Amino acid sequence: MSDANIKQESDLTRRNFLRGLMGAAGAATAIATYETFVNDPQLVLAQDGTPAADVPAMIASADGDHFDNVERMRTELVRALQKPAAERRWVMVIDLRKCVGCHACTISCVAENKLPPGVVYRPVLDEEWGTYPNVGRRFIPRPCMQCDNPPCTPVCPVNATFKNGEGIVEVDYDQCIGCRACLAACPYGARTADFGLTYTGTTPIAAGLLVGQDKAESYERVANYEYGEARPREGHESPIGNARKCHFCLHRVHVGELPACVTTCIGRATLYGDANDADSLVAEMIASPNVIRLKEELGTEPRVYYLA
Amino acid sequence: MTNNKQPEQCSLSRREFVKISAVAGSAAAFLGGLPGFSRIASARAAGAEGEFSYPLADPANQLHTVCLQCNTGCAIKVKLLDGIAAKIDGNPYSPWTLHPHIAYDTPILETGTVEGPICPKGQASIQTAYDPYRIVSVLKRKPGSKRGENQWETIAFTQAIDEIINGGDLFGEGNVEGFKDVYALRESHIFEEMGAAVKAIWGAKTAEDRAHLVESFKEEFADHLEAMIDPDHPDFGPKNNQFAFVWGRMKGGREDFIHRFMRESFGSINSNGHTTVCQGSLYFTGKAMSSKWNATTGGFDGGDKFYWQGDIANSEFVIFVGTNLFEANYGPPLRVPAVTNGVVDKGMRYAVIDPRFSKVASKAWKWIPIMPGQDTAFALAMIRWMLDNERYNAGYLAIANQAAAAAAGEPNYTNTAWLVKIKSDGQPGKFVRASELGLVTATAETNAEGKEVTVYVTEDGVRFTSDVPVVLVNGEPTPFDPVSTDAAPMVGDLLVDTTIGDIRVKSSLQVLYESASENSIEDWAALAGVDAADITKLAEEFTAHGRRACADIHRGPSQHTNGFYNNNAWYVVNLLIGNFDYAGGMIKASTYDRKGAKPGQPFKIESMIENENTAFGLDMLRTNVAYEKTTIFEGYPARRPWFTLATDVYQEDVPSMGDAYPYPIKIAMFYMSAINFALPAAQTVIDILADTSKIPLIITSDIMVGETSTFADYIFPDLSFLERWEFQGSHPSVTFKVENVRNPAIAIPDWPSATVFGEEIPISWEALLLAIAERLDLPGFGPDGFGEGMPLTRPEDMYLKQVANIARGEKEDGSDAVPEASDEEVEHFLNVRRHLPATVFDPARWQVSLGNDESLWKRVAYVLNRGGRYEPFSKAYKGVKVGHPYGRLINLYQEKTATTINSMTGNPFAGYTVYIPPGLDALGNPINDEDAGYDLRLITYKEIMMAKSRGIADYWLLALMPENHLLMNRVDAARLGIQDGDEVHVSSASNPDGVWDLKDGTPRPLTGKAKVIEGIRPGVVAFPLGWGHWASGARDITIDGQVVAGDPRRGKGIHANVAMRADPVLGNVTLSDLAGGSAVFYDTFVKVEKA
Repeated sequence: MSDANIKQESDLTRRNFLRGLMGAAGAATAIATYETFVNDPQLVLAQDGTPAADVPAMIASADGDHFDNVERMRTELVRALQKPAAERRWVMVIDLRKCVGCHACTISCVAENKLPPGVVYRPVLDEEWGTYPNVGRRFIPRPCMQCDNPPCTPVCPVNATFKNGEGIVEVDYDQCIGCRACLAACPYGARTADFGLTYTGTTPIAAGLLVGQDKAESYERVANYEYGEARPREGHESPIGNARKCHFCLHRVHVGELPACVTTCIGRATLYGDANDADSLVAEMIASPNVIRLKEELGTEPRVYYLA
Repeated sequence: MTNNKQPEQCSLSRREFVKISAVAGSAAAFLGGLPGFSRIASARAAGAEGEFSYPLADPANQLHTVCLQCNTGCAIKVKLLDGIAAKIDGNPYSPWTLHPHIAYDTPILETGTVEGPICPKGQASIQTAYDPYRIVSVLKRKPGSKRGENQWETIAFTQAIDEIINGGDLFGEGNVEGFKDVYALRESHIFEEMGAAVKAIWGAKTAEDRAHLVESFKEEFADHLEAMIDPDHPDFGPKNNQFAFVWGRMKGGREDFIHRFMRESFGSINSNGHTTVCQGSLYFTGKAMSSKWNATTGGFDGGDKFYWQGDIANSEFVIFVGTNLFEANYGPPLRVPAVTNGVVDKGMRYAVIDPRFSKVASKAWKWIPIMPGQDTAFALAMIRWMLDNERYNAGYLAIANQAAAAAAGEPNYTNTAWLVKIKSDGQPGKFVRASELGLVTATAETNAEGKEVTVYVTEDGVRFTSDVPVVLVNGEPTPFDPVSTDAAPMVGDLLVDTTIGDIRVKSSLQVLYESASENSIEDWAALAGVDAADITKLAEEFTAHGRRACADIHRGPSQHTNGFYNNNAWYVVNLLIGNFDYAGGMIKASTYDRKGAKPGQPFKIESMIENENTAFGLDMLRTNVAYEKTTIFEGYPARRPWFTLATDVYQEDVPSMGDAYPYPIKIAMFYMSAINFALPAAQTVIDILADTSKIPLIITSDIMVGETSTFADYIFPDLSFLERWEFQGSHPSVTFKVENVRNPAIAIPDWPSATVFGEEIPISWEALLLAIAERLDLPGFGPDGFGEGMPLTRPEDMYLKQVANIARGEKEDGSDAVPEASDEEVEHFLNVRRHLPATVFDPARWQVSLGNDESLWKRVAYVLNRGGRYEPFSKAYKGVKVGHPYGRLINLYQEKTATTINSMTGNPFAGYTVYIPPGLDALGNPINDEDAGYDLRLITYKEIMMAKSRGIADYWLLALMPENHLLMNRVDAARLGIQDGDEVHVSSASNPDGVWDLKDGTPRPLTGKAKVIEGIRPGVVAFPLGWGHWASGARDITIDGQVVAGDPRRGKGIHANVAMRADPVLGNVTLSDLAGGSAVFYDTFVKVEKA
């Protein structure tokens, strides 16, 4: 970032404080003022691919030797961020043996990305089979596959959707014209359109009698941070009117957090990490004999692997 | 790349900036003076892609508290944007979310990107807080309208308090008594003296003595008889008891607040919880099995209202019985990974016994779709197999006392070998006592304090403080001291059936074995509707893992008329392998003492009260004294059942008010209660609530116009769980010692406040109670409420003291206190609350609540920064045993139960595991609705995305399942001509029209959509709880003449509780388990027809 930012480093004015609170204005405030995070080894990330001087430490576990896989993956994520983007291969592994159909991922994603009615990045299918009393039931989460050969990007008339430098299929909300060609092109149904609805939109205002729609909707209007940019939900501003899809929560990943669906997975079924890191959990899991990918025959080369 | 854009390009940033200034400005006002204030941070990181900020990863925007979407109470971090709760994730310090959790001493500022899993309800709880239908003003039933008609007027808080205190002609329906009338007895010493006199009345040996004591009472308290409900029945207590407080969900903190208010200040014995609507019989089976030997009286008393669950993360084999742990139970984030990791990574196996193919069944080795209510049959078959094949832990079971347990290194012991006296009818009665067998001689002695006592001495000179039980040791009757640690260790013969002198005795195990042998395994299997081979397979597997196996039970076995015995049967299955207090076996919860009872803790909350009015008398649910001992004993059956083995019998609250039995209730206050929605046979509750002659004044504390509030006279707004305090405690599925501290994470913009005791506090449940306390000048509240100069005028005055107790720990020398928060952490503590208004968070005032103790303040900050206190892994286990064992006698045979009389039949309850069929009425007779064409058994379950009474506000969750269904097997559907998705109508013998009559002139038919599946036992239909609301924002209401439209999304689906069977004997209540107290959800037969 610009030198101008550095100059402000120790001069935290009231205005900067307020901007810091806003978060959205972060780029205008010097990183050096954020002492908390400079002191936090989790977030000392080298930009040039060499390991940071302070190798990210694991947070100590309450059980000395053992770590929840969620913590293991978070540490691996921080390790991956030390490499140049092009050397990371983000993949998701979904262990269907561990998915319990709880939908925590679906809802965590909705909350994280402030998804309106009709927009779902990560539904979970619930299927029963068999005949009583020999019955089975399975649950299948379906995020965007982040295909290495995505059918959705070539159909975009304005090049608003593309594979980014880390292999994630992005939507540039400022470019997207909302034509929905990509929705039709995706063989996995992973894209939905944002029509600008809110969940509380049809509820009464009832000023003085109830909390009312106008106050209640605040949680729906606060900014999301998709693609690292604060976008409150107001007026007709993007992403309203745009095509929307899962982006592996890159905005979280880039600060050293796992995607929302991964940290909230109560069954520990959803795994995430850098498949190029041979020591990572995901690298280990995608070498399992029971690994499959959806609609592999289409040649889309999904980056989401399922363990059956 | 989009993320390289300058924030200035964001068209909204400017508007955002202005909006935030207002919020942050006030925060800056108090933060400004604090050292290190400038270190407000925003999360950012430099990745290869450049820089951007993500405030939700910044600890400065993460406040730690505790969820209450269900009673699991997962620890959470609320992520805030401009003071708005934007996202909720799991608190990684807590063993509820990460397994293992992170070390407790991890600096809070290092945890911004560390979070644990929580379930979708927790994620969506933001919507419970920001619910458009939340009420912000006190609502009064419009004079001239009837309860249930939903005509409301807003009324100022102080005016509402005036009205409920003073009473009067409040609704144009005649005089209503207010609190000032019901608060009749006001003298502390009279409470104490009368309480003692009533105890004496209950202790009378004969009816004549009792009558005499009543007369003496009337003479002694002649000046105060006007304050009594009925002077001829002094044991009803004072009129104060005619105020009943009934709650749906309340945890520590608020529980302590109401206990103080009701039992020590207002002086009413009637504060009752909801236990029996959940899994009451499980709690009270736990209580019966934990009843304690009293070394002074030589009898049993006490017992803990609790239960055990499986430590399934360490089990090799589990039988899950009626426990839906992927969707409900205690609770999914806590227990699911134990199963998924266990099955996939550790080779764990489990079976699921449930008529419905639940989500947890989907990963099971075996699904056994049992006939509902036949758990005892199944478990007794397993018990028989285990005993027949000698596959039980004989070494453990033979241990008969604490001393032997200690010698053997066992954490606990049982009364399996103790000898039970067989009555003339062949039924087992009490344990035989040493004196009955001539093994000891009673001798009068003067003890060290100069008191005359009786001691029991053997021929060899062994002395006992009471008449002790006996075991056979190699055939020799031997008395022993059960509990003393320095007694002789005692190990008894296990299977005994003999006569000593002329007394027939059997060992507890013999009694059990005979009960299990009443049927062959095949016949038990037939009763349970299962394959006998499956029972044998389960028994073989269950007994093949040492102590690393368990049968984990919950609501399924409990909510039947025989729930107590179903639970007991499964606990006994566990007991036979001796898995209690072992890793992978049965465990109990452990929490830090918030009440300050341990030496060295700073605030002994319960004793910090002067001139208290200690409530006395018979409680309205008839749980605190045996029927036979009271002045209203009139033979059997009693007018309504008594529940002396239980408490908090939720289904009895309203019907008891309806029948004015044992006495009328004048004011009923319902808190977080959907009593007329959540209970089975809910129509009976509605009918009584609607009748002002039965309950003259109904007050609710609610966050919206909920189902019960619909029938209220006054509704006082409360705070959602994200805005308030509570101590969530723990669950028996947690081995760690913990305390989860719920504390205000957000404030709703413009939330109204009230002034009580000169303090401005948010309108809330506490504000309501404080205002009543102020107006009545109740002891224990006000500027000197906790003692001179120690106020109880704000919620924090109590709750912060409790946090301080937890922070200080339980060791006298303070060696287990949490550290004082560093300056940096104290600053974080203040900073992370910068969005809270001074009515909620005023640091200077909070310090007053803590007695201005700097050190405590810092320790409290340390705990609140982490959302609670959680011990390290190393303390939770000691080798193969748990670190916090139950550690004492577990009753295989329950003497106290065996000597408790069923008030309806006049016969004693069985003190051992015995088969009793499900679905009996209050007199123990079968109901036989099947014969009248009601041919489908109705059961319920929970979906993970819906809470029982309050999830309906969470639109994200409703999007997952907009309405629920009546599940039925394909075979039943075909027989009834029902297709998947058809609208169907449900009716039962006690609700033959199949309707909800809401007293608004339009009964609503009980209909919903059928879902035809394979995964349910034919003959059984099921629906998930929580949909089908008719209040809580589902229906139009009128406030101040303005119609507030309901949201149709909130009314979809079917809630068939109203069709559940009313007891044919009592008429106005659901079926109940008279031993364990449970309200019965699973013993109704219904008719399902195409609508």
